[in-house]
Amino acid sequence: MQNSAEKLAFEFDNSAGKLVSSLQYMLDYISGIIPPQADADDIMFRSKVIITELLTNGIKHAGNGHTLFDIEPYPDSMVIRKTDNGQPLYLINSRQHSTEQFDDNKKLISADMLNSLYAIWESDNHIRFASEEASFDDFLPVEQVMEHFGILIITRSSDEFTYTYDKGAHSNIFRVQIIF
Amino acid sequence: MIKISNEGPKFVVGEVTITEANLSNSDEFKAELVKLLDEHKKIVILDLEELKYVDSAFLGALVSALKYALSLKLDIVLVGLRTDIRDLIKLIRLDKVFKIYNYPEEAQFAVNKF
Repeated sequence: MQNSAEKLAFEFDNSAGKLVSSLQYMLDYISGIIPPQADADDIMFRSKVIITELLTNGIKHAGNGHTLFDIEPYPDSMVIRKTDNGQPLYLINSRQHSTEQFDDNKKLISADMLNSLYAIWESDNHIRFASEEASFDDFLPVEQVMEHFGILIITRSSDEFTYTYDKGAHSNIFRVQIIF
Repeated sequence: MIKISNEGPKFVVGEVTITEANLSNSDEFKAELVKLLDEHKKIVILDLEELKYVDSAFLGALVSALKYALSLKLDIVLVGLRTDIRDLIKLIRLDKVFKIYNYPEEAQFAVNKF
């Protein structure tokens, strides 16, 4: 069942100069659909970091075309969807061309002493992301800490984060669910 | 992008003057930070009070610069973080690799005891 609010559709031109205004536009919409019983500060923080990273991903990978964002409200959650026609996520090709074994369709895609990030294939063109914290609690040697955080930030901030490559439409669909 | 506001025997305080740090300026930011380390050979206390918006590209540049600082046996210490930026750093556990203080004076006191 959908929330009574209209869904938002927004086209981003993948220019870095419009990143912050585009973020603000979508956050303004989200602030109006959060139900009163939900933790609005937490949802706004998570929405901000997720949309920031999806916009950055659009600038980096979606090329000269446009990226479509839609935000769909439900009574107990909302779904943020980003669709573009750039190159498929490297993980799709890496699996199709890899000879390595994929245990339980789950692959460790990055790990350091702080965090581990996994891709879980739910079908050939559909991936769900998951992350785990490492067990270190003290200050750590920084040399092995990774420097790419985009997918990790979205995975940590969302209740579900998936990627689908639509072969027919040649489109990349990132879908993020936040439960209120 | 980084303005020196104070300097002591062991540290230099760099105020970040931009309000938005993202993909479009993260390389330049990292280059300025590396230059600061090279020229001063001191611990950099980075004051982020003006910064309202960051993304993963900026955080990646910060981690990369920290690795460089540690290779010189120096450090980068963060101060003046807005709540949501501090929360983002905690979300991906970078608070385990950066020393974070509320104010430059607090960081200077700590650095002088290193």
